[in-house]
Amino acid sequence: MPRNEYQSELAALRADVVSMSELVAERLQMALTALEDSDEVLADRVITGDSDINQLYLELEKRCTDLIALQQPVAGDLRFIAASFKIITDLERIADLATNLGGYAKRAENNVFPSVDIQRLGEETLSMLSLAMEAYETRDRGLCYAVDERDDDLDALCEVASDTVVRELIESDRADDEIEAFMADVSRFLLTIRDLERIGDHAVNIAARSLYMIENNDELLY
Amino acid sequence: MSEPESSVDTTEESVSSPTPGTAAAAQSGLDTGARAAEPIIKSRGIDVFYGDQQALRDITMDIPEKRVTALIGPSGCGKSTFLRCINRMNDLIPAARVEGELLFSEKNVYDDDVDPVALRRKIGMVFQQPNPFPKSIYDNVAYGLKIQGYEGDLDARVEEALRGAALWDEVKDQLDSSGLDLSGGQQQRLCIARAIAPDPEVILMDEPASALDPVATSQIEDLISDISEEFTVVIVTHNMQQAARISDKTAVFLTGGELVEFNDTEKIFENPSNQRVEDYITGKFG
Repeated sequence: MPRNEYQSELAALRADVVSMSELVAERLQMALTALEDSDEVLADRVITGDSDINQLYLELEKRCTDLIALQQPVAGDLRFIAASFKIITDLERIADLATNLGGYAKRAENNVFPSVDIQRLGEETLSMLSLAMEAYETRDRGLCYAVDERDDDLDALCEVASDTVVRELIESDRADDEIEAFMADVSRFLLTIRDLERIGDHAVNIAARSLYMIENNDELLY
Repeated sequence: MSEPESSVDTTEESVSSPTPGTAAAAQSGLDTGARAAEPIIKSRGIDVFYGDQQALRDITMDIPEKRVTALIGPSGCGKSTFLRCINRMNDLIPAARVEGELLFSEKNVYDDDVDPVALRRKIGMVFQQPNPFPKSIYDNVAYGLKIQGYEGDLDARVEEALRGAALWDEVKDQLDSSGLDLSGGQQQRLCIARAIAPDPEVILMDEPASALDPVATSQIEDLISDISEEFTVVIVTHNMQQAARISDKTAVFLTGGELVEFNDTEKIFENPSNQRVEDYITGKFG
């Protein structure tokens, strides 16, 4: 097959984008564990490790621009590189949101809202990310649509969780000296839920770009 | 006349539908109506043989008027042969035989009553190597007009052609100098001026920039876009990026003299319908 080196570079790019996603998923899992266990050390590792992800992102971005500039890709190759270019941005943003979760974990005292299952939301986002990347890696159009459908469930779960937090805030009869700390917990919880919901949106973006890559279909982009 | 069946992939923006004129129009699927897009050349089941060797097989396609149509494909696929069919340049090759119909403005150019020389005044040609006559710049452009017995203002026509070929400003003070004294890029633009001077309807270009450096190439590419406002351009190129940059429609010929896909250029280079075309343009073979 002609252009062997070019084909090898495309294959390596695909493998390295998948590797980046595995690293991002690992950081997200660490952030969720830090939240669950109020583990500051683990949370710090997520926060300080974000620079590695940023570095990886910039390196992959450069490889995409180099391929475009030097190899003039067209057709399926062009869609693959364009999709990869966008997907690494979503992965980098997911890592940023994991860093946010690490920050919330450091400020957490106790689980003041036992009825809100943050871990369940987190597991859902991890699962969506995994599915979206499988769609990208294996070029599976069905998985792209599956991720999009899963996002509706995640949004519903997040809405219920937010409502629960707000209801408990309204119904709270805490004393004045406790209310400030309680308000901080409320906002931290709401931000946690919002960030998890956004991670789901990034997973959908990845699925949407993968569908475009696979069959030039922009249906999920809108 | 019956329409022969063809296996050519022309899905979506079909050749028989109004052809979008710009990338934006192609994207929206709308015809801007700003430029006419009716077919000026219709190839109907064209077969070409060199002796016993078949060079083209059942080529059926419509080339839209005042657009740039690129013919691409690997060496030996027949794209230059097809180009030369359009103004009967293959007549000059004794062993060449053409079957089928090649309609130019609805008239089969292979009919017995067609004068090939007159046809070539309507369908001019620019070749790979710049080939100015060993005459002055002025005479290079005026030559065809004089042969035609042009009775208008010759000076004005020469200037118009040189301006049309984006060469006037560079040569207006040296019209008596030899055309051979110009640079390669200027010589090629002189050949384009010579081709457009008799006011043809179609200009065929056979790899017109492949012998030029990048700056001269980009000048020729700009010029092709400009002249397509007035003329229909059909260009053979080995440079796929060039086809992508300058053409409205692209026809992909593959080995064996087969036209495999013909569609809007944007479609060919972003999402071709045919897997062999995808493999060819992404460099997986050829």
